[in-house]
Amino acid sequence: MLQDRYLNKLKELPEPVRQFGGLVTLTFIVILSFAILNIFWGGGDELVRKMKLEEERIAQEQKLSKLISSLPSGILVPHEGTEGHKLSEEQHEAVCNATKIVSQRSVMGANLTNFKAKHIYTINGNDIKETFVKWNKENKKCFAGFVVTGSNVGVNETITVSGEVLSFFNTGIDTRVYFIKNF
Amino acid sequence: MELLKKYPKLFQWLFLLIVFFALCFAIDVPETYKFIRGQAEFIKDPNQSTYTLFGKEVRYYAFDVLWRLPPLLGWLPIWVNDSLFFLLNEWMPMEFWNEDTQEYKTRPLVLQITRTITASMTFLIELIREILLGGAKTVVAFTSWDWIDKNPWAELPGLPWTIVAAGAVILCYKLSGKGLAIFAGLVMVYISVFGQWKPSMQTLSFILVAAPLSFIFGLTLGVMAYKSKRVEKALYPLLLVMQTMPQYAVLVPAMVLFGIGDHAAVIITMVVAIPPMILLTLLGLRAVSPEVIEAGKMSGCNNWQLMTKVLIPTARRDILIGVNQVIMVCFSMAVIAAFIGAKGLGWNLLLALNQLNIGLALEAGLCISMIAILLDKMSLAWANKQEDYFGNLTFFQRYKNTLFFAGAVLIGAIFAYAGSFLFKDSFNYFSEIPHNKGISFADFWNKGVDWIWDTFFQTLKIFNTWLITEVLQPMRALYLRMPAVATITLVVGAGYIIGGIRSALVTAGLVLFIALSPWWDRALVTTYMATFGVIASCTIGLTVGTLCAQNKFTTKFILAVCDIFQTFPSFVYLIPVMMLFGITDTSVLIAVIVYATIPATRYTVEGLRSVPPALHDAGSMSGVTKLQRLINIEFPIAFPHMMLGVNQTIVFALFMVIIGAFIGTEDLGQYILKALSDKAGGGKGLILGICVAFIALIFDNLIRTWVDKRKKHLGLA
Repeated sequence: MLQDRYLNKLKELPEPVRQFGGLVTLTFIVILSFAILNIFWGGGDELVRKMKLEEERIAQEQKLSKLISSLPSGILVPHEGTEGHKLSEEQHEAVCNATKIVSQRSVMGANLTNFKAKHIYTINGNDIKETFVKWNKENKKCFAGFVVTGSNVGVNETITVSGEVLSFFNTGIDTRVYFIKNF
Repeated sequence: MELLKKYPKLFQWLFLLIVFFALCFAIDVPETYKFIRGQAEFIKDPNQSTYTLFGKEVRYYAFDVLWRLPPLLGWLPIWVNDSLFFLLNEWMPMEFWNEDTQEYKTRPLVLQITRTITASMTFLIELIREILLGGAKTVVAFTSWDWIDKNPWAELPGLPWTIVAAGAVILCYKLSGKGLAIFAGLVMVYISVFGQWKPSMQTLSFILVAAPLSFIFGLTLGVMAYKSKRVEKALYPLLLVMQTMPQYAVLVPAMVLFGIGDHAAVIITMVVAIPPMILLTLLGLRAVSPEVIEAGKMSGCNNWQLMTKVLIPTARRDILIGVNQVIMVCFSMAVIAAFIGAKGLGWNLLLALNQLNIGLALEAGLCISMIAILLDKMSLAWANKQEDYFGNLTFFQRYKNTLFFAGAVLIGAIFAYAGSFLFKDSFNYFSEIPHNKGISFADFWNKGVDWIWDTFFQTLKIFNTWLITEVLQPMRALYLRMPAVATITLVVGAGYIIGGIRSALVTAGLVLFIALSPWWDRALVTTYMATFGVIASCTIGLTVGTLCAQNKFTTKFILAVCDIFQTFPSFVYLIPVMMLFGITDTSVLIAVIVYATIPATRYTVEGLRSVPPALHDAGSMSGVTKLQRLINIEFPIAFPHMMLGVNQTIVFALFMVIIGAFIGTEDLGQYILKALSDKAGGGKGLILGICVAFIALIFDNLIRTWVDKRKKHLGLA
């Protein structure tokens, strides 16, 4: 009854007013739908924070890659030596932080002095589980290493090999660990 | 309230715009929003949100929903793609006999069907190609290579260019008289002398397969739609989408199904060419007067006879206009299909453009355009030609053209044979002029381009920089600055104001599909480029059209110009703009403007010329000046028709923007182009194409609804 009365009242309204009302209602419905969707799908403050961190990380990476491109290609060494470009202390830290790849050459070299690691590495198809490059603030030295894991005569073993990085290799695009001193 | 009653639409538009701008200003750009970080960048970033629907994981950057909707349809392209692969590689494996290995082989049904279609198409193309250019593959298909080695005479000789040229001249003379015959002769000589014979015949061979097949399928489906409302209703949405979908987008899924090469090009061309044929068949059959149908029934025709002896012959003109459209679409596809390996002029054009050899591209483009114009004129002449059923002709009168052609074949064959002696140590120029032996003005054109660059470099650079920095970039930023909620409110509101709740719902559906796809940002960029093109095209088209519609001579002239420009395959427009502006957004936009100005001009002229002369007289009698008559009488009456031109302009502009991806834009077209080289791009290409089609359909829906209402209001409908 009440519904009929209001419906009749609506119908009695002039056409332009009804059309305008329709437009207002439609606009309201669209905006309301978005507001409801926002509750379920909207990106929150946590996401904004995470993305800002990501932005910072990208900016830092870009800064490092700029430094890498300013260094000569080839071998980079932190100490005086006969071969390679000598890095300053600041450059040494930056290169260490920028380096992500531990080259197979350095793995093989380090393995030479760790028989068990070499054995597991060989029998498990040269599989390396994890690599890492870290800057040690106290010693002001760069350390790198790798983890080999696999079955050794039916026993699962995991060995971490690490040592000071004595040289890096600059490809012009990235830098790689060239030699690890693990003795 | 009185004002609201007096100007209801004005108030509605005002309200809508206020809401739109209020939303734009109220919603800030999220701090982390970057265009480059569009939701379609399929990279793995730990900050991306994910959801899984129908077993498909969708990764996206979540923003405030009021700013950008999450890509809730992001699973669709992946699903389409997986479905295509499932259909092709796994669904219904069956045993099929393999002729080559002489054993049964298990293959999925769809794969077998597509490969059978592919093989038939390849066979047909090769057959026609070998008739035109010569070869042995067709004979080998029925015999073997060993047999051909033993019987080298069986290799099909190519038709000498002189015979094809003579055939074209005679056919044109029969269809339209001397004028067209001379034009056909000139075109054939041009193609041959410029060394474009082989690629032209390659293009022609694939058109000679695609066009008849499109005609047969289009006619059949058109007749079925005429006979059954259900079929019509089922076809209608497909036809609408296909009419507005960029041809590029069809390439990708078809490539997944049929592979690459001429056969795939034929299939894609058919997919694009069939819809206009269906529409024109339907239009023609609908226009047959009930009296004619009644007369047919009264004469005792059954359904088949009624269709074949009464309806189709009566609708002959519209159906043949459909054939004309099919041929034109085939030509425009000749270039686009080159992207998936169709040989011929399109391939040469694409290659030349890739090498930035504008001279070569121009030669190939000119060739395509000239053949397209010739075939357009021929098919139109065929459509307009009336059969003389009652002429009492002698044998010679009736068959003179056939006899002339037989004579031409004989003379051409003798010439070609004589040529083999005359040019014993070189190429037989009476048979075919090879590409490297023909005349070429490529160097001349290339030097021309260099000269333009040397002379006008500064001017062009200043214009280019101004356009990009002062006009295009701000406009692009403005479009990208629109929050999703504001855009959708504007579109849905416009739908409501123009066409009521039904129109609002249709536009809402279309815009939501795009907003929920992963390519909303790219769609905005596409729309911005199209909008710029449409504004410029409409300004030029309406001005030129209005000026030219003032007298009969200029009207005829401008319509002829529009006819010629409309015949050029869309890709050809890129050549001159690349000559002038290089590889920039400006080039794309100028190509868009040139291409889209055609319908704007044509519809303006046609609209203004369709105003009844009685109204002109009434105006003159009332003492109005020419300008007053134009503004107060002609424009209001012609405006609905002109708006249909605007509608076409939008579709043309969108098509060209998508093709512009070839030059390097960052819109939906670029993603379609990327999908072409992506192994898993079938679904993406299709959905991207649908997005472009939906942008066009939103405008189409709004404009058509408005036009229908306006026509009713003016008593024109």
